[in-house]
Amino acid sequence: MINLPKKPPPSLMVFAGIPTAVLFSYYCFFKVGFNLTDFKENLENRYLVTDPLFNPKWSWAIENASEALVETIQIAILASVVGCFVALPLSFYASQTTNQNKISYFLYKSFLNLVRTIPDLFWAMMFTVAVGLGPFAGVLALVMFSLAIMGKLLSETIDSIDPGPLEAAKSSGASHNQSVFTSALPQVLPNFTAYFLYIFELCIRASVILGLVGAGGVGRIIETQRIFLRFDRISPIIVLILLVVILIEQFSVWLRRRIL
Amino acid sequence: MPKQPVQQRILKYAITALIVIGSIWSASGLEITLEKILKAPEQIAILVGAMFPLDLSSEAIERILPKVAESLFIAWAGTVIGAVFSFPVSFLAANNVAANYISETTKQILNGIRAFPELILAFVFLPITGLGALTGTLAIGIHSIGTLGKLSSEVIEGIDEGPLEAIKSSGGSKINELLFGVVPQVMPTITSYWLYRFEINLRASAVLGVVGAGGVGAELINQLRFRDFPRAGTVLVATVVLVLTVDTISAAIRRRIIKGRSIKV
Repeated sequence: MINLPKKPPPSLMVFAGIPTAVLFSYYCFFKVGFNLTDFKENLENRYLVTDPLFNPKWSWAIENASEALVETIQIAILASVVGCFVALPLSFYASQTTNQNKISYFLYKSFLNLVRTIPDLFWAMMFTVAVGLGPFAGVLALVMFSLAIMGKLLSETIDSIDPGPLEAAKSSGASHNQSVFTSALPQVLPNFTAYFLYIFELCIRASVILGLVGAGGVGRIIETQRIFLRFDRISPIIVLILLVVILIEQFSVWLRRRIL
Repeated sequence: MPKQPVQQRILKYAITALIVIGSIWSASGLEITLEKILKAPEQIAILVGAMFPLDLSSEAIERILPKVAESLFIAWAGTVIGAVFSFPVSFLAANNVAANYISETTKQILNGIRAFPELILAFVFLPITGLGALTGTLAIGIHSIGTLGKLSSEVIEGIDEGPLEAIKSSGGSKINELLFGVVPQVMPTITSYWLYRFEINLRASAVLGVVGAGGVGAELINQLRFRDFPRAGTVLVATVVLVLTVDTISAAIRRRIIKGRSIKV
C-alpha cells in the first residue's frame, strides 16, 4: 500500500458556505413566489404569447420600426464615441502608474466605480426627467454606461503598462503630461480601440431597451406594442435587432483582427 | 525614423473618418444641438439638487427596503436557475468532452439564448407568469443559462487532459472521467463565474421592475413619475449601496475561491 498524503479536510468556507448558499437559495425561491403547480397552470396561458410571437407581421415592422431602429444605432454610435473619448483622459487619472497623487487617484477611481454601480436604465430614467423625453436622454445614459466600462478596463490596462518609456521621457526633460502623452498613450491605444469596439456592441444591445423609459430608439415601439400584447408585431422587430447586432459584431470582429 | 506601412496608415485614417462621420450622422439624426448640450449640465444639477436631502422617513424606508431586497432575491434565484441548468449543458457544449456535432449544436443554442436581453425575455413572460418577481427570476435565469453555459464550457475546454488519460488508462469509465477528471479542475473557476454572474444579475434585476417584473426598478420609475425626487434619491442610493456591498463581498469570495486556502503539509 502506498503511503498517500492525507487529504486536507474541507475548509470552514465549504462547511459554512454551502449550507448557507442552499438555505439562502431556498429562501429566495420562496420569496419570489416560485411554485411548480402554479407555474404549470400559468403555462397554459402561453398561447397568448406564443401564437402571435410565431406569426410575425413583417410588413408592419419594416414600415413602422425601421426609422426607430436607425435611431437606436445612432444613439449607440454617438454614446460610445463620446463615452469612450471622455473616459480616455479619466483613465489616466484613475491609474497609479500615471497619477502619483493618491487623493486625486482615489477620487477618480471612486467616481468611475460609482458610475458603474448605477444600471443603464436608471441613468436613462433620470436623464429623461432631467433633459426631457427623447433620444438625447438615451445618449446621455449610454455615455455614462460606456464611460464607466471604458474607465475600468482602460485604467486597469494602464496599471499594467511598462513604466520604462515613462521614465525615459521624464529623464529627458518631459513634463508629466508630455511623458504620459508620448509614452503611456501609445502603449494602450490598441487596447483602447479593441475596448471601444466591444463597448459599441454593448451599447447597441443596451440602446434597444432605452425606449422602454422614453429615452428614444426602437424600444419605444416595443413598449407601445407590448402593452397591447401585439407580439406579432414585436417578434419581427426582435429579429431585426438580432440581425443588426450580429452584423455589427461580425464587422467589429473583422476590424479587431485588422488592428491587433 | 521609419514610416508606418502605407496600408496601416490608410486603415487608421479610414477608421478615424468612419468615427467622425458616424458621430456627425448620429448627432444630426437625433437632432442634438449645441444648445441642448449646453443646457444639460444645469438641468442635471437641478434634478440632483432636488433629490437631496434624501427622504429617510420611516414610511419611505419601509416601502423601499423590501423592494431592494426583492431585487436581491430575484438576482440570486435567477443565478441559481442559471447555474443549475448551465452546469450539465456546459459539458455538452465543450468540444473536448462531447462529440463535435453535439457541442456545435449546444453552442448555437446557447448563443441563441444569450442574444435576448433579460428585459425582452421578461415582457415575453409577463402575460404568462404575471406581474411580479417570478417573471423577473425566470427572465434572469434563462439569460444566465446562456451566458454561464458559454463561460463554463470554455473553462472545460481549457482543462489539462492529463488526469482524464490517467483515469482512462486505469480503467475508469466516461462518467468517472467527468466526475474525477473534469469537475475538480473546473469547479473553482465555474463557481467564481456563478458569483460574477450574480453581481451582473443584481444590476439586471434592479432594472426589471421597469416592465413590472419585480424589484426596485418599479419604485424608481414611479417616484420619478410622481416627481417625488427625494424618495427617488433614496431608491437610487439604496440600490447603489446594495450593489456596492454585494460586489465587494462577492469579489472577496471569488478571490478566495480562485487562490485557494494555504494548506500546511
